[in-house]
Amino acid sequence: MIRVEGLGKSVGGARILRGVSFRVEPRTVLGIMGASGSGKTTLLRCLNGLERVTEGAVECEDVRLEAGLAEKEYQRRVKHLRRRVGMVFQHLYLFPHLSVLANITEAPVQVLKKPRAEAEQLAHELLEAVGLKQAAPRYPESLSGGEQQRVAIVRALAMRPEVLLFDEPTSALDPRRSFELVAVLRRFVGQGQTMVIVSHSIKFLEGVADFLLYMEGGEAVEFGAKERVLREPRDPRTRDFLRQTD
Amino acid sequence: MGKIVLRQLKRAAPLIFFLLSTPFAVHAQEVLRWGADPSGGAPYVFADPAHPDRYVGYEKEMVEALAAAMNRRAEFVPTDWETIVTSLQRGEFDVIVNGLEPTEDRARFILFSKPYYIFKLQLTVRKNEARIRSLEDCHSRTVGTLSNTAASRLMAKEGIPFKGYADPVGAYKDLELGRIDAVLMDVPMEMYYARDNPRLRPAGDPVHRGAYVVGLRKGDEALKAEVDAAIDRVMRDGTLERILRKWSLWDDAQAELQAAARTDVAAGEKKPDEVAYEITSSSFNWREALLRLTRAALVTVLLSFGAMWIAVTLGLALAIGQSRGPAWLQLLCTAYIEFFRGTPVLVQLLFLYFGLPRLGLAMPGWLTALVGLGLNYAAYESQVYRAALEAIPRGQLEAAYSLGMSPLLAFRRIILPQAFRIAIPPMTNDFVSLFKDTSVAFAISVWELATAYRELANASGEFLLLGLLVSAFYLLMSLPLAHLARRLEKRMQHGRAIRAVESEVAA
Repeated sequence: MIRVEGLGKSVGGARILRGVSFRVEPRTVLGIMGASGSGKTTLLRCLNGLERVTEGAVECEDVRLEAGLAEKEYQRRVKHLRRRVGMVFQHLYLFPHLSVLANITEAPVQVLKKPRAEAEQLAHELLEAVGLKQAAPRYPESLSGGEQQRVAIVRALAMRPEVLLFDEPTSALDPRRSFELVAVLRRFVGQGQTMVIVSHSIKFLEGVADFLLYMEGGEAVEFGAKERVLREPRDPRTRDFLRQTD
Repeated sequence: MGKIVLRQLKRAAPLIFFLLSTPFAVHAQEVLRWGADPSGGAPYVFADPAHPDRYVGYEKEMVEALAAAMNRRAEFVPTDWETIVTSLQRGEFDVIVNGLEPTEDRARFILFSKPYYIFKLQLTVRKNEARIRSLEDCHSRTVGTLSNTAASRLMAKEGIPFKGYADPVGAYKDLELGRIDAVLMDVPMEMYYARDNPRLRPAGDPVHRGAYVVGLRKGDEALKAEVDAAIDRVMRDGTLERILRKWSLWDDAQAELQAAARTDVAAGEKKPDEVAYEITSSSFNWREALLRLTRAALVTVLLSFGAMWIAVTLGLALAIGQSRGPAWLQLLCTAYIEFFRGTPVLVQLLFLYFGLPRLGLAMPGWLTALVGLGLNYAAYESQVYRAALEAIPRGQLEAAYSLGMSPLLAFRRIILPQAFRIAIPPMTNDFVSLFKDTSVAFAISVWELATAYRELANASGEFLLLGLLVSAFYLLMSLPLAHLARRLEKRMQHGRAIRAVESEVAA
């Protein structure tokens, strides 16, 4: 469960986000769409504390980050938050000096203090689930783009987060791989995963999301169930965006 | 036509001969170029403390008197004691006048004039020293002296462990600081550098009896005759006595030496020198030389590894402090780096060795060299690490954070291993250059490989063979190093970086 209330973000006087509010129910997928510079990636980064909120609040599960928190308290909360919210970056940022297996087990072993055997067991299961059973001993640079992305997803999932955030997951994928990704993600949602996905591809979001949020100029213009937003957008700006991209 | 040319040539011949010979003749008749080491060279020849760009000393005054007697003008050529014989052979000056003692090994390369001064050796200890009364008590102590002198050869013969210095100042200073137990040196130096020092005192009476002579190139027999005659003359007319008395160097031994020259005049005939003096000699022993070189090589290895360890650890701290610390720490780190990069390592070593004891911190020479080189190279390493750290995309850190890692954990497990991989080639480079830079340690009398080469080669004249041997020693050490670095680099590329970092850096 994610709750965002009157969220605002300013950097050096420029307001990047203003008055954003929405909720994401457990086991659902929220798709965030919008043009470049609309603030959608910043919004996503606010959800796991990579960007600090300057107005309003975000709440993931029972961890609440609001504007004006003291530094120490903020860091303490972010630490809790990040154990519950995983992220898959647009550029993935796999660790090039670690094998695929070590990429996945690093955080569970070092952060959650899981026994190595247990962490590796889980890593192998997750790799098998995304069809990368053989890749465990390999190094990221030897994998294709699609394979690397699935490793990044597994790396985030290995922390057993309640929420998984995705930034532009299809930017490096061809249409066929995008379609496969939809299937992979839906399977994890079926197993109880909540997700927030930022993408400029309406087609991809149509396949994967339950709810849609349209961002423009740092504002949440439209929020609602996927079918409703796509078929009968209430705001003319949403209508324009959907028409242009199709 | 041909005849005319020939006749004109004949007429011109004396002129041509004159033109060719003149510069030569003028040079030979008017100038006497003499070489000596003026650094720490009192009272022989040294920079006048009151007028530092002028040289003074009893030998300077004596050479001027000698040159006057030879109808020449004396010209001083400052040189280095260790290489003074080779410099003479190379023709940088005509004579050595630098408290040179005639030895059998030197006699193989140069000519000696008759003696002009009889010297003795004086043992000096600290004021409160109770254990040492004479050289006999020094068999299990360390005695400092100048390298390649009568004193060092005497101790080598007696089996007394000694430490060679490049100048007397360093030796007496180390004695004061307790780095060595005694100093054995020619009386003139002892008079000038130690006699008035309240913290030192002479131990026992002067021992040994040696002579100072003028050194000349082999084949310069004519010049030798001239110099000998000039020495006789300054002795006869009392000039030398006046100079020596002025410098408080006149004693019975000098009177005895000069008496011979003075009676020669009365007798009107040449008598052999009747004043006896001992000649020390050092026979060159290849087996021993090899042993000493091996020991010196071990010192070089110890210095390199020790200094590199400091450089790596401190360099990393500096890099982190400079790029991520609070403003005051960044400023401090930058100041440190600029200071150590912007001043010569030689100056830093001399400062640590002679300057720090003033603040109550006296380290032995090898430790000073190790720490000094470490501090110096830390400044360079820090820049290697900073560049390597900056080369890691910020996303790597964010990815680690988003997996719940703390900044410290992310740095240690994610950023550092990747930066280390980038840093290995420049680090290897620095290490090899540090390895060679250990040779500056000779400035503070650490007996490492380059110092060993200089001393052994100067003692034996075997510059070529010893040079090849020493180079082989250096390569024997640096090649495996380069190999090791390449292997490490490969290993890192295969990715087992974390384990590598933890075993190489943290260990």
